[in-house]
This record gives sequence, structure tokens and C-alpha cells, in this order.
Amino acid sequence: MTVFRRIPQWELLLIVLTLCAAAWSSNLSPYYLSVDQILLSTRQFVYPGILALGLAVVVVLGEIDISLASILAFGAVLFSKCSEVGMAIWLATPLVILACAALGAFNGVLVTRLRLPSLAVTLGTMGAYRGLAFIVGSEYGYTSFDSSYTFIGSTKLFGALPVSFLVFLALAAGVIFLMHKTVFGRRCYAVGNNKEAAWIAGIDVANLKTQAFALGGGLAGIASLVWIGQYGSARGDNADGSILLVVTAVVLGGIDINGGRGSMVGVVLALFLLGTIRNGMGLANMAGPTQTVVLGTLLIIGVLRPLIARGIARLRQQLASSGHAGN
Amino acid sequence: MSAENAVIAAAAPRRSFGRFALKLRVSGVVAFLVILGAIFAVLSPQFLNAQNLSAIVSNAAILSIVAAAQAVVLITRNLDVSVGSIMGFAAYLTADFAAQHQGIGPILILMPMIIGGMLGALNGLLVAYGKVSPLIATLGTMSIYRGLTYLYARGQEVTSNMLPRWMLETVDLRVGGFPVLVILAVVVVAILGAFLRFFPVGRRIYAVGSNPVASAYFGLRTERIVLLAYVICGVLCGLAGFLYAARVGTVTVILASGWELTSLAAAVVGGVSVTGGSGLVAGAALGAVVLATIDNGLVLLRVPEFWRMFIQGSAIVGAATADVIIGAQIRKSLQSRRRGTI
Repeated sequence: MTVFRRIPQWELLLIVLTLCAAAWSSNLSPYYLSVDQILLSTRQFVYPGILALGLAVVVVLGEIDISLASILAFGAVLFSKCSEVGMAIWLATPLVILACAALGAFNGVLVTRLRLPSLAVTLGTMGAYRGLAFIVGSEYGYTSFDSSYTFIGSTKLFGALPVSFLVFLALAAGVIFLMHKTVFGRRCYAVGNNKEAAWIAGIDVANLKTQAFALGGGLAGIASLVWIGQYGSARGDNADGSILLVVTAVVLGGIDINGGRGSMVGVVLALFLLGTIRNGMGLANMAGPTQTVVLGTLLIIGVLRPLIARGIARLRQQLASSGHAGN
Repeated sequence: MSAENAVIAAAAPRRSFGRFALKLRVSGVVAFLVILGAIFAVLSPQFLNAQNLSAIVSNAAILSIVAAAQAVVLITRNLDVSVGSIMGFAAYLTADFAAQHQGIGPILILMPMIIGGMLGALNGLLVAYGKVSPLIATLGTMSIYRGLTYLYARGQEVTSNMLPRWMLETVDLRVGGFPVLVILAVVVVAILGAFLRFFPVGRRIYAVGSNPVASAYFGLRTERIVLLAYVICGVLCGLAGFLYAARVGTVTVILASGWELTSLAAAVVGGVSVTGGSGLVAGAALGAVVLATIDNGLVLLRVPEFWRMFIQGSAIVGAATADVIIGAQIRKSLQSRRRGTI
């Protein structure tokens, strides 16, 4: 019993579900069970995965940022501009990440200083940043990236292991450490649980939130580097509509949308689950719409989870009390 | 004409600053529209042309119905991002049905409304009784409804020559010089506005959004009211989807995708607060006219399409800022009054 207590139940369930999905996929398609295939399939999930890490931090604070995919598009266009003028990649990368973090921080400033609801703010900036990406770039995509720019997103080590996947794992480890082992992370959970109490305990809530938004923006900048490598192009409409997948991963990962609860490990596991399902459905020739329906259903199950858990707990309590009565 | 919500109306005496500020908010939309119109009129001689103005209101008509529907949900402190998918689902099923039953008359219009109402009810059940965050619930149903439309259509589309003639002809009619779509939109928004303003159920919708806890203590069945708001939203989205299908003629599975954001933008620009309890459906409809005016003006000025995204996005942030400032003023004025009475 103590062993099970130590492993959080939701994370355990996600692992079990991932294994089930993998077993189901290998049943559907003979091509599934190969290391090359599985490793390659991770590539599709790297950029939404990185966005999900950033969004998870913002959601823990009780806010939301639906403009992250637009920030990614802005970052990709900015990379294309850097490549155009022949800037070295080691200079372009920090520049773009900083610019994207600034866009994220701008969301944060609007939310904290003007006290606007984050949904309304990022709904607006979602359009505004995408417009900005088009204004900085043009209607026409840029495809002639220097090969140093596409290294991270397109290279495979040992013929199979994508560098972008390693980047994702490193970022995931970083965010898990940041949120669960540092003061910053504990403060984020404290604010998400109770803003007022956190403020009274001496946490600068507004500053912390702005930092979290900036972190999300910066991660979107890194995601844009992966994007240009994978797709070799940059245009204002990059990653349009991917925010559904990102929000799904965060919610399915067990992060409470009202803030203060959930672990980053869960988000990473949820990404693996979604990736396995997507990959399996793709190999089984299941149409995109079917995948969308499955994704939406998973999202709703993910959020109904506390309700279901409460129901089970109540049932258990009743059973226990009736057992006592019997004794 | 007044724009106060239930709690403000109950708590504030007449001619309070709160009442004034809210009036300011709605007239602010009108003022913005006038300024916008003046700018475009100066920059482009074609703008004030009667034909162009009529094109603007026609384009705004369907969006204003959806924006009003979105406003009802926003007023209860929730939101619905599945409106575009509901429109697509209801429109496709209805168009397909009409294509197979050519002889069907105007009774057909009930079909999308019933479908929309059922889809809206599912959203409402999830949000009100499932206690799911409205954004998450409707993001999920957005993809489910759209995905089901794809699965139903199997890659087909309904073209205009498969639809009954009356359907295509009616939406292009003009009554007394006004496009029938515009008249219909005005009637729908007026009925909805009157419902929210004069009927007890309407006032309860505002009360729930204003303060859900207080309204529950007061004895309102908040779950039912939220469910009702989603059903109203769904019915109107079904109607709007049908009108849109009849207007464009060719019904594809991607019909009205992206409208969830446009409708939210219209409602927010029109002064409906995303924090609930305040705003008018007429404001949301005006917001739709503002967006249509921006679209039209930018096309006339030959501004690239993507500037529209930037301007629309900035308009949303600007409108939300205005809401917060006014909200703070109202709270201040209420507090000073309360102190005055003690």
C-alpha cells in the first residue's frame, strides 16, 4: 500500500494508459513496434510539448496563455529574418528567445498591472502577435534557412534519435526541477492555491506571474527553433490551431485549470500518451477528424477526472462505513 | 437603454456613477464606431457609399447573432468556444437533410435550432453540472462537434444546386430596401435583449454572472440558469449556421471555423465583460458591426489582410482594459455610497 501511495495515482494511470495505447497500436499496425518508428514519431510532439511545459507553469499560477502558438509563429519569423541577414545561430537564438519572452512578459504585465483577465488578454494578443508575425515577415513564407538554423529541428543522431527530442527531454527535466525543487516553483504553487495568502506571506505575486508568462514566451521561442528545423519554413500562420493540443496535454497531465495543483511529470506523461495515441491512429490510417474527436473526448475526461475521483471516494467511504456498521 | 446589471441595479440608487459609467461603456462602442467610420470616410471616398454601408451591415448580420449568443454565455461568467463548431454541425446536417428532401418548406429552419440547442445543452451540462472549466469543456466539444461533422460528411460537401431554391433566394431578399438578414438580426438581438432586460429569468442570468455565490444564497438555481444560457447560445448558433449556409450556398465541413474567436472579439469589443454580469447583447451586436467596419475599411484602403488580426487583437485588449477601469470606478462609487449610508 505504501508503495502505491508514493507513486501518485494519476501519473500511474497515465503510464498504464500509454502502455495500453502502445499495445493497441502494435495490434493495429505491424509497423508500430520498431525503435526507429517510435523515436521518429516523437518529433511531431516536440513543439507542442515545449509549449505545454510553458503553459503548465502559467496554469499552475491560476492564469492561462492561449497566445503561445502565436508567439511561436513570431519566433519562427524572427529566425527567418536573422537567417536572411546572415546572423550566426548562436547569436540569433538568445535574441529570438529574449524577444519571445518579452512578448510573454507583455501578456504578464497586462494581466498583473492592469488586472485584466488573462483569457481576454491572451485572446487579444493571440491575434495581435500573429498579426505582428505577418507584419515582420510577409504573406510569403521563408524557406531558405541556413543549415545551422535547422540543425536542432532536423538532425537525427545515430540515424534515428532526433535532436529535438533530446532538447524536449532536457527542457522537461529543467521545468520539473524548477517547479518542484526550487523556491520559484513552490511560490508558483502557493500563489495558485491562494493568491491572498501568498501575498501576505511575502510573495510578490504580480512579479512572479509576469516571470511565469515570460518563461512561457521564452519556451515558445525555443519551440520556434524546433519548428523551423522540422518544417524548414517560417510564416505568420505557423502552428495555427495547435493550442487545443497544448491545453489538452496540460489538463490531461493533471494540472488543475484553476491553479495550484498538479505536477509537471504528469504533463510530460500526458504528452507521451497523446503522442502514442496520435502515432498509433496515424499508422492505423485513422482519419484526422477521428483523431480530433478522440482528442476532444480525452480533454473532457481529463477535466471530469476530479469529479469522477470524488465520486469514487464517496462510494468508498460509503462502503467503508457500511462495513463498519456491519461489524 | 440603461445597461446596469442586477446587483448594481439593486444596490445603487438612481443617477449613481456606476450607472453613468456603464452607459458610457455602451456609448463608447458607438463613439468608437463613429470615429472609425469618420477615419475611413476621410481616407476612402467609397466608404460612405450607400451600397458599401449596406454591405457592411449585411456582413455583420450573422456575426451579430453569434456575438449576441456568445454574450448571453459571457454574462453568466462562462464562455463558449464551440460556437463555430455548433454552427458548422447544425448547418451541415440541415443542408444535407434539405438536399435529400427537396420539397421541404421553411419549417426546415427549426432543425438547425434544435440541433444547436442540443449541442449547447451538452456544453451547459458539462459546465453547470460537471463543474468543468468553461474554456476546457467547450474547447473539447469544439473539436468533438467539428470532428463529428467531418465524420458525417465523409469528405463530401453540399453545393448550392442541391439546396432548395427558397433557401438561397430568401436570404438575398430585401424588405423596404433593407436586406432581410439585417432585419432578422435586429429582430433576434432585440428579442434577446428584451428577454434579458425585462424577464425575471433574464435578470437571473445577470445575477448569476455578477456574483454566483450570492445568487446561490439568494435561492437561484445557478446550474439551471447557466444551462439555459448555453442552450440559448446553441439555438442561436444553429440559426446563424443555417443563415450562413444559405448565404454562401456551398456548405462545407469547415463552415464557420474560427468564428469562436471572432464572436468573442465582437462581444468583448461591444462591452460585454468576460468576468460576467455586465454588458448588453445589443453591445455585442454593435461589436460585430465594428469588426465588419474594420474589415471593410481595411479592404478599401488596400491594407494587407494580416493587419486586421493585429488591429482586432489590440481592440480586444483595449476593450478589456476599458472594462476593468470602469469596473473599478463602479466599485469605488458603490463603496463611497455604502459608507455614506452608515
